[in-house]
Amino acid sequence: MELLAVFPPLFGFLIAALFGKQIGDKGAQFVTCAGMIVAALAACSLFFTVILAGHPYTAVLSEWITSGDFNVSWALRIDQLSVVMMCVVNIVSACVHVYSVGYMGHDDHKARFMAYLSLFTFAMLMLVSADNLLQLFFGWEGVGLCSYLLIGFWNHKHSANAAAVKAFVVNRIGDFGLALGTMAAFVVFGSVEFDVMFEQAGAVAENTIEFFGFELHALTLICLLLFMGAMGKSAQLGLHTWLPDAMEGPTPVSALIHAATMVTAGVFLVARMSPVFEYAPDALMVVAVVGASTAFVAATIGMTQFDIKRVIAYSTMSQLGYMFFALGVSAYSAAIFHLMTHAFFKALLFLGAGSVIHAMSNEQDMRKMGGLYKKIPVTYALMWVGSLALAGIPPFAGYFSKDIVLEAAWADHTWFGNFAYWAGIAAAFMTAFYSWRLILMTFHGPPRAHQKVMKHIHESPAVMLAPLFVLATGAVLAGFIFYGGFVGGSHHGAESGHEEVAQEHHEEEGPHQETFVVTKDGVHKKEEAEGHRIAWDKESFWGESLFVKDENDTVDAAHGAPFWVKKMPLLVGLLGIGLGYLAYMFFTGIPVTVVRIFKPIHTLLFNKWFFDELYDRLFVKPAFKIGNVFWVKGDQNTIDRLGPDGIARKTLRTAGMLSRFQSGYVYQYALVMMIAVIGIVSWFVFRGGYG
Amino acid sequence: MIDFNLVPLLPELFLAMAAMGLLIVGVAHGNSVTPVICWACAAALVVASFLLFGMSWEKQIVLNGMFVFDNFAGFMKLLIILGLITTLALSVKYLEQERISRFEYPVLIVLAGIGMMMMVSASNLLALYMGLELQSLSLYVLAAFNRNSLRSAEAGIKYFVLGALSSGMLLFGISLIYGFTGSIDFGVIRGALEGLEAIPFGVTFGLVFILAGLAFKISAVPFHMWTPDVYQGAPTCVTALFAIVPKVAAIGLLMRLLYEPFLPVHDQWMQIIYFVSLGSMVLGAFAAIAQANIKRLLAYSSIGNMGYALIGIVVGTPEGAGAVVLYILIYMVMTAGVFAIVLGMRRDGIAAEDISDLSGLSKTNPIQAYAMAIFMFSMSGIPPLAGFFGKLFIFQAAVSAEFYVLATLGIMTSVVAAYYYLKIIKVMFFDESIEAFDKDIPFARRVVLFVAVAFLLVFVIRPEAIVESAQNAAAVLFT
Amino acid sequence: MIVQAFAFYLFAGILTVSALMVITARNPVHSVLFLVLAFFNAAGLFVMLGAEFIALILVIVYVGAVAVLFLFVVMMLDINFSDMRKGAMQYVPIGMVIGAVLLTELVMLYGTWQFVPGREQNIADPVAAFAGQNNTEALGQLIYTNYIFAFQTAGLILFVAMIGAIVLTHRTRAGVRKQAVSDQQARNPADVLEIQKITPKTGV
Repeated sequence: MELLAVFPPLFGFLIAALFGKQIGDKGAQFVTCAGMIVAALAACSLFFTVILAGHPYTAVLSEWITSGDFNVSWALRIDQLSVVMMCVVNIVSACVHVYSVGYMGHDDHKARFMAYLSLFTFAMLMLVSADNLLQLFFGWEGVGLCSYLLIGFWNHKHSANAAAVKAFVVNRIGDFGLALGTMAAFVVFGSVEFDVMFEQAGAVAENTIEFFGFELHALTLICLLLFMGAMGKSAQLGLHTWLPDAMEGPTPVSALIHAATMVTAGVFLVARMSPVFEYAPDALMVVAVVGASTAFVAATIGMTQFDIKRVIAYSTMSQLGYMFFALGVSAYSAAIFHLMTHAFFKALLFLGAGSVIHAMSNEQDMRKMGGLYKKIPVTYALMWVGSLALAGIPPFAGYFSKDIVLEAAWADHTWFGNFAYWAGIAAAFMTAFYSWRLILMTFHGPPRAHQKVMKHIHESPAVMLAPLFVLATGAVLAGFIFYGGFVGGSHHGAESGHEEVAQEHHEEEGPHQETFVVTKDGVHKKEEAEGHRIAWDKESFWGESLFVKDENDTVDAAHGAPFWVKKMPLLVGLLGIGLGYLAYMFFTGIPVTVVRIFKPIHTLLFNKWFFDELYDRLFVKPAFKIGNVFWVKGDQNTIDRLGPDGIARKTLRTAGMLSRFQSGYVYQYALVMMIAVIGIVSWFVFRGGYG
Repeated sequence: MIDFNLVPLLPELFLAMAAMGLLIVGVAHGNSVTPVICWACAAALVVASFLLFGMSWEKQIVLNGMFVFDNFAGFMKLLIILGLITTLALSVKYLEQERISRFEYPVLIVLAGIGMMMMVSASNLLALYMGLELQSLSLYVLAAFNRNSLRSAEAGIKYFVLGALSSGMLLFGISLIYGFTGSIDFGVIRGALEGLEAIPFGVTFGLVFILAGLAFKISAVPFHMWTPDVYQGAPTCVTALFAIVPKVAAIGLLMRLLYEPFLPVHDQWMQIIYFVSLGSMVLGAFAAIAQANIKRLLAYSSIGNMGYALIGIVVGTPEGAGAVVLYILIYMVMTAGVFAIVLGMRRDGIAAEDISDLSGLSKTNPIQAYAMAIFMFSMSGIPPLAGFFGKLFIFQAAVSAEFYVLATLGIMTSVVAAYYYLKIIKVMFFDESIEAFDKDIPFARRVVLFVAVAFLLVFVIRPEAIVESAQNAAAVLFT
Repeated sequence: MIVQAFAFYLFAGILTVSALMVITARNPVHSVLFLVLAFFNAAGLFVMLGAEFIALILVIVYVGAVAVLFLFVVMMLDINFSDMRKGAMQYVPIGMVIGAVLLTELVMLYGTWQFVPGREQNIADPVAAFAGQNNTEALGQLIYTNYIFAFQTAGLILFVAMIGAIVLTHRTRAGVRKQAVSDQQARNPADVLEIQKITPKTGV
């Protein structure tokens, strides 16, 4: 089953890529979509066998590298965490595949596009099912590569190429961290296999490692390096500049890669490494602070953008920030929960935006939209669903996950926890605001587009809408259904250990079943099917795939948060929506006035806090300059002249000389042989002192 | 007293009979049945490989200590048989195109194969010489096989004359060893050498001559001079044979000889092989750059590759020996693939042999161009292709035995060598395309091409199985 | 004893001188004749060693077959051997140097020669093992039993040589009329023969 969940996309890719011409566009679309759907179903089935029945396992495919002490095998780690990720990736990817059939209908390279999508999905699956850091790195680089290929898919557009390069280069910085982290892990643990690392994490918690002459806490170093990788991939503040530009890719790509899956790889990495991060509190603090800042900064930028996809991109970044500060306060399960719900509603939003763009003949500027809701009512409704989920309005998915994330941050009772909470609340307000700004600017008000364009507007075909409905279902129900499983509270005191907790659950399931109606079904089903009972709460749901030290268990603590803490996100969400209506529906003059009054701030936000300009000044231009110096002075004038070019010239001369030796006369050849033999014998005579 | 158990010789005996039988068939039916005989010979080789598999691979020495069969011999014989089948498969169509389709060709290949198999099974200097001569004589004839071509005849005669000289050296060396130890049996020689405190001059002298004779067979510098001329002159399918198979046998023979009887004088032969290996690498890398003819280029490339393989022998550890076997195996596959393409280089029925003939192949025949690119990348040792691993294991063995100079020079020369491999890629992909090659590529050649490409690409995923069997095979020599 | 020594030096001396003449004689026919003389003397040396079988084989095979074949070839092909030497003459100096070095080394080899201790035990088939057998028997034992592998391989090598000779030299020329033995055998006299009674002095 695990093979069915992981490998169909690879086959889809191979067939579509190698035989794209032979089987035609239709064939390629069919093969890749079918592969994805099979994989999605297989992942769901894994969900039942692994999570509900509580049977995580590792499927070893084969040995890979054995070199000295370094052993790595190809293995699929099928535990609760990876199964959740697989479900998310496969379902969203399947939706995007089907959607792409419609969206890319006018493109000339359908087969190539589908092939890339499948390859990306496969790489992502390799990443989440990795059994060791090396295999994870393999998948990591794979998704990076696919992201490059897909962002630059319209390679006739200069901006797309530039964006692809930017994404690749920025990610490379993160990858460098990941690679270093992997090496450091090998130094500390003597292995890059997760099992080995997790087992030893507690034992080496006090170790230090020498790094450039500094004695550093080993685990903190590893975690920070890994987090650097996560920052790159998940577009956290500092390494985020590539994400908005990545919107140059086709919209399905944005939905799949830059919203639902790839960018969550960083979140996944940290969650996967939770047993190590738990012993590195300093690293967790960094994660939380970076995450909270990202959530806030991205939300502020999101309020000012006009490109529909960019707005959603910044909201993605902001939501990723939420996930990271959840990780930072040890609320791993909450982070993954938010990751899951976010994948659904963000993919929905992106695909909905894609539907709008498709309808508007590839117009992305919201200032040129407006008044669309009558023409594309289905898309409109679905965008509402997505936005409600994003803004965290009950009973939509985002409400459950965002709340638990914020509560966990509050429950951490540390300065960075509080910081995260308040930054998150502010971001939640802004999120709701810009979501409605988006909806109102796009769908309401007078049409601002050209007459011709307006005439053309049509609802998207069924092949594009069907995936939207699937995702919408997820966006509506996912939070409600899975709340108990992902983050459902247990009620043990701080004094009880892990083992005891698990047992306690089995004895006292009653209260949980009452609290969460849906859980009854799950429990019930399991009782019949397996005779093995599993409680619908986070301990039994996650098994041993996530590890939280008892004193850090903020998710549990979050359930005991005060009322105002719990309701604050909802309140600011509603406020944000209200303000959005006020500003963009009723008193449309407000935005202009506000912009005029707060000119400097708006400029700052509109220009994305000048990150791009700053980097350009700080790194890009100096790098070019330094590079130029090295190139002209160092390389061309010194190294090339003495090195490669010089050596090359010498080499050619040597080659000519050697081939002149080859005269073609047999007696010369024989002579050479004789001389050689005599020469070797003489060598021994002189050296060996014979005679 | 004398063990007349013929079971270990079964594959050789079977092949000899098959060769004679098929020769009679050929004589009876004339040259029109050449393809049939080619395939029959290939079938006989397949049967021989089955026989090999059916035999016990435990070490046994039979026929008065003349013939040994063990894991190493078995593995090398399998490689030899594989190489021969590949060459036969590549040859059939080419022989017809060149109008040299004569039924003696496959028979001679099988006979050469018997010689090679005897070489890797030799346990006695006399048996060694006999196997070597059987192989060489068949190859001399094959080199001159296109007797209507002046170049082919010249290649044959050159190879023959120089081969005779090298055989003479070998025999002289053998006689010195015999004179000193009183025996030509590997086991006895080893016993005699083991007790020595100082190595007498006679032994060193004999060793030099023996190694000179063998270095000629693997075309190692400075006994390589025949190689470019013969590679260029011989019909291309014969060149393919030269490049693919005899090297396996000669390297196998060399390994057995150096690791079994002459291991006690490691210090002596190490110096010789060291020098020869260094020379081969350097010459193989540099001289190839100036070549315009692709067959000549491949000749130098094979010289260079033998240099790398010899590094593994020099270190004299089981690790190194395993690396050599692996290297040879990978080299064989790459070379077979390259020749599958070179044999298809024909325009209007006339063979094209210049590198410039490949210009723009990526446009006229992209599949061949990509396959060739993979071979060239692999040859220049670029990961993750198999060629990289071949080199990696060799250099690793060298480094772990502290032969740093050799490893460093090996890496440097492989950088130089990469130049001309990549130049071919550049010609194929970036030069103006010229007229396309003839399209009729026979099925067998496609299969060889496909298998070679697949092997090089897939090797990285499961290297273990092959690496281990190569190492196990080589480890037998040290027990 | 003196007779033996005398005979040895006689044979050896003539052998050396005639071998020298083989490579120095201007006339190739003379060369071959000197070669025959050298073979005879070598045979004489073998007889003195008690190896009468080898001696006779040498005379029969080398003198009777090989040398005579050489002679035929040399007489039938009109090759100017002095022409062939021309190109090689320029390498004489360097050849001399190599020869000198090789000679020095061989002298050194001879001077420092030693046998491995216990060499006698290493010899696989010492002469003593064949005591009481005559030359032919002993050789038969060695060739057909002890070294059967090498012997058979030698057979294969000669087989290859034969194939090679045919492949490289045999040409089927068009328009050559050959005897078709099978056709001749298969002919029925009734089909091809007509018996006629002829009356004298009338013609057919």
